[in-house]
Amino acid sequence: MSIFKDIKNKSKDNGITIIAGCGRLGSSIANRLSEDGKDVIIIDSNSESFRKLSPTFGGVEIVGDAAEMFLEHDADIRNAASVIAVTNHDNTNIMIAQMAKEFFHIDKVIARLYDPERECVYRDFGIETICPVVLSTSKVDSMLYGKR
Amino acid sequence: MKPKVVLIDGYDETRLLSRSLIEKRFRVTAINESMDCCEKLAEINGLRVFHGDGSKPFVLEDAGVYGSDIAIAMSEHDDANLVICELCKKKFNVKKTIAIISDPNKTDFFLSVGVDSVVCAITAISNIIEQHVLLNDIRTIMPIAEGQVQVFQVNIPKNANVIGKHLWEISLPDEVVVGCVLRGSSSIIPKGDTCIASGDNLILLASDDYKEAAVHQLTKI
Repeated sequence: MSIFKDIKNKSKDNGITIIAGCGRLGSSIANRLSEDGKDVIIIDSNSESFRKLSPTFGGVEIVGDAAEMFLEHDADIRNAASVIAVTNHDNTNIMIAQMAKEFFHIDKVIARLYDPERECVYRDFGIETICPVVLSTSKVDSMLYGKR
Repeated sequence: MKPKVVLIDGYDETRLLSRSLIEKRFRVTAINESMDCCEKLAEINGLRVFHGDGSKPFVLEDAGVYGSDIAIAMSEHDDANLVICELCKKKFNVKKTIAIISDPNKTDFFLSVGVDSVVCAITAISNIIEQHVLLNDIRTIMPIAEGQVQVFQVNIPKNANVIGKHLWEISLPDEVVVGCVLRGSSSIIPKGDTCIASGDNLILLASDDYKEAAVHQLTKI
């Protein structure tokens, strides 16, 4: 796909970040990275989702199934420096993250998981995880009792 | 000790599989996300049924999956099946995991991350349909090793060339074996001197590439 050529050339230093899922978290990360001048490709199966991106968002939006793009060994994905899987489904995030590790050996792979109990699946694959429940719990804890 | 099998999701598949597995004296547990399906499955004699999302560890734990011999993930979502198989393998020490997938492109990926066996229903079905469309003389086909080897049945037409010939006289390709001859109600395990008769049904084992050549050889008039 030639539309990404310009991105690839100018991004030698920090590489492209691929974000799967343009929900609240996905779009917010995309906006932040784009503001910082990073190159971002954001993928979502629903084009309406991209409305959450800020008007100044300078990355590339792709409508499609992220897992399928990984399966097809898409050229832009191969060159990615990091992959962030933040779709609404834990299972999908796990699968995308594993594909990123297994096919492309991408260094930084982060997956958002609602259910922290599934962790054993990705620990072995070197996938980093963020879990809103765990983060919120510790935040509430520190708000209630101060720093422990 | 009877082997322990866990079937996760897939109502119709679970119903058929559990019946035949229980008959073969397996201990079968079914986990299903839909309460309706669970209630219907509970009518099957000897089947333990659990309600819940099989991709969640606590559901698998409640259902006593730990140490099972086989887990078969049959939900309609490929990603869920992947997670189910990996949880079963890593967290619950299940010996063999099988995933049913709908996207054939994912087969290699699933195998490479440690799922023991992957079945793609759509590939299997489309293979069968293709055979029925392309080759009228072939009856049933069973693909083995991802379709590289096929087991199938060929009906010998009335005035075929091969009738009356010994098996050794028929020059079949090397990669084709006649496994069985069905004649009326009897079945014959053929030797080289077995004669082919009109109306015989031959069960063949052949590599996919030579299948059509074999059928052509046996049915030409």
